[in-house]
Amino acid sequence: MKPAKKKNTALNTQKSAKKDIKILHIYSDAMDLYGDYFNVICVKQSLEKRGFKCSVDTTGIGDAINPNGYDMVYIGHGKARNVAAVSEHFVNYANDVKAAVNGGTVFFVTGSARLLFGKEFTTAEGEVKPGIGLFDYVGYDTGKVFTSDVVGKLMTSSGESDIMTYGFVNRTHYISGENEHPLFKVLKGAGDGEGEESEDGFEGTLYKNFFGTWQMGPLLARNPAILEEIVKRILGNNYVKPDKNDGKSLEEKALELTLSEFELDK
Amino acid sequence: MSNFKFQLAVFVGRIVRFFGKFVDRSTNLPGSIAMKICPNFLSQFKFKGKIIAVTGSNGKTTTSNLIAHILRENGYSVANNSEGANISAGIATTLLVNCDYSGFVDYDFVVLETDERYSPLIYKHFQPDYFLINNLFRDQVVRNGNPDIIFDKISAAIGPDVTLVLNAQDPIINRLAPENKRILFGMERTERSEEKSVFLTHDCKVCPQCFHTLKYDFYHFNHIGQFHCDNCGYSAQTPDYVASDVDFESGDYKINGIDAHVTYNTIFHFMNSTGAVAVCTEVGVPIEKAIEALGTFQVSRERYDEMEFDGRKYVLILTKQNAASLDQSISFVLSQPGEKTALLYVNNVLYTEKKDISWLYDVTFERLKGNVDSIVCSGTRALDIAVRLRLGGFDDDEMVVVNDIDNIKEDMKKTKGTVYILAASAFGNEDGIIAALSK
Repeated sequence: MKPAKKKNTALNTQKSAKKDIKILHIYSDAMDLYGDYFNVICVKQSLEKRGFKCSVDTTGIGDAINPNGYDMVYIGHGKARNVAAVSEHFVNYANDVKAAVNGGTVFFVTGSARLLFGKEFTTAEGEVKPGIGLFDYVGYDTGKVFTSDVVGKLMTSSGESDIMTYGFVNRTHYISGENEHPLFKVLKGAGDGEGEESEDGFEGTLYKNFFGTWQMGPLLARNPAILEEIVKRILGNNYVKPDKNDGKSLEEKALELTLSEFELDK
Repeated sequence: MSNFKFQLAVFVGRIVRFFGKFVDRSTNLPGSIAMKICPNFLSQFKFKGKIIAVTGSNGKTTTSNLIAHILRENGYSVANNSEGANISAGIATTLLVNCDYSGFVDYDFVVLETDERYSPLIYKHFQPDYFLINNLFRDQVVRNGNPDIIFDKISAAIGPDVTLVLNAQDPIINRLAPENKRILFGMERTERSEEKSVFLTHDCKVCPQCFHTLKYDFYHFNHIGQFHCDNCGYSAQTPDYVASDVDFESGDYKINGIDAHVTYNTIFHFMNSTGAVAVCTEVGVPIEKAIEALGTFQVSRERYDEMEFDGRKYVLILTKQNAASLDQSISFVLSQPGEKTALLYVNNVLYTEKKDISWLYDVTFERLKGNVDSIVCSGTRALDIAVRLRLGGFDDDEMVVVNDIDNIKEDMKKTKGTVYILAASAFGNEDGIIAALSK
């Protein structure tokens, strides 16, 4: 079975000059809540529409993690006990993961998976779990769920953009510590910290091509501009704009309608 | 504790109950007022018979009503919260209606459907003798969050003397109170069992003990099935009560080899009925008699309604606010003959107006592909439903987006066949769509 597949890939590479894109979905089974997986599907479909082939590999807690050779790495939101369990495994691959981030591999990390990239985090039972220390923040599990709509402005490498975003958080954790590289300026709803309303705060992490956010679920399905930014970074010099009819896409209209329902200060 | 306060609470509660019936406030309000008058109200009861508590994400109303039905059919007196008032106040109401002024509940059995989140608050006052737990699924994200949180709440409600009655094929709940006595029920492979999970919502992809990938011989639905972990050995245990030979057409099946028949033939109901027979047999009903009573049980149809607009048949299916429940509604639609249209109605979340729809990404709409004429997207989140369906592989010409609910009748003309309205109560109110259709 497997050799045949390889042959196929080789054939296709010859046919089209376009690069094959490889996505690594780490802890696809342990870190799997609320439709996060659709973020991967969004990226895959978006690339395929532009004529790129895209494959997704998944790894679990029994496997070694090697981000080498991947164009994007994804880790989704997981249950409190699951993130505590995978942290002990993930820390074994701290060097490889940090090297990949610093080398420019695109990372997209949602919900509680962010805890894995900080210094450490404390579970609701008071146990301290390790992070890989890529960032300085530390996490805490309060054991209490809070939820919030989040409206923000997307930050880019050059600062605040005028791209408006909508997302949703449902979490028991929060992180604290200096946020040097936020991904969103929060206009409405929860930022990184504890509590439901931390208005005018910041949320998430944008560092090189690492995107981290508490906003869970199918964030890229609801925010076509964030998806486009990620695709742009995955493709680099190979970036091509999507085929687009005139006017707004369904996704853009859906987001616009959602945003229009919020009362936002000018 | 003054006895007077308790008596006053019962007295006032009953008055509120009497008048509350006229304004539809009779299930929670009486108990809530009684608990205010007498702070330790729920601790004051003495029970003649056994208490059977029922909880879980899906199916607890039906299962607890079924247990009460079986017991009554077999000549026992039963007090239960049949109207589904399952939080502390609702349970207080049920008890105050059925006790005397000393707090004595003179029934052979008390069967209490219990909200999973409230179970520790209720059962710190008194403990059930039997605690049946059906299943745990991720709830709608704007509320509870994930099954671990609910698991912890239920764990806190279970004292050492409670006998658990568990679905052996739910890997989440089988880790509850490992020291307690347990009775297990389960179901053998059916013609609808799958080797691989066909549902997107699978709340136990990894072993809850060691977090390695959890394997399944077969799935019944979502994460319910014959599971085993190759790493640590955690696996579905042999059930004491086992359903087999399930015939989805006729509703016939067997429990421990004895012929059984149910009047509502969904996989949930076969499973719930097996659990109900298990607990009733454990408390002394002969198993044949318990099984016999299944055949005379009428499932409450409050979540299901048939109607006609413009000479066309519409079927309203109200689901709970979680993906697993909507998955089951989709299974129902798929099992119906003839040409059909699915009409999805999703609003912002009631009360909070939150705009999250991530739970729709956990629903396996993909199963509808090719099996319905079209899918109509309606409600305040209509466009978001369309985005979700498109990612699931639906073409634009397979979807109809209702931009203005007042125009829905025009939009429906573009579709064919019987219309199945899939509406989730927390995203209510379904009255809105019915009103628009009947204009």
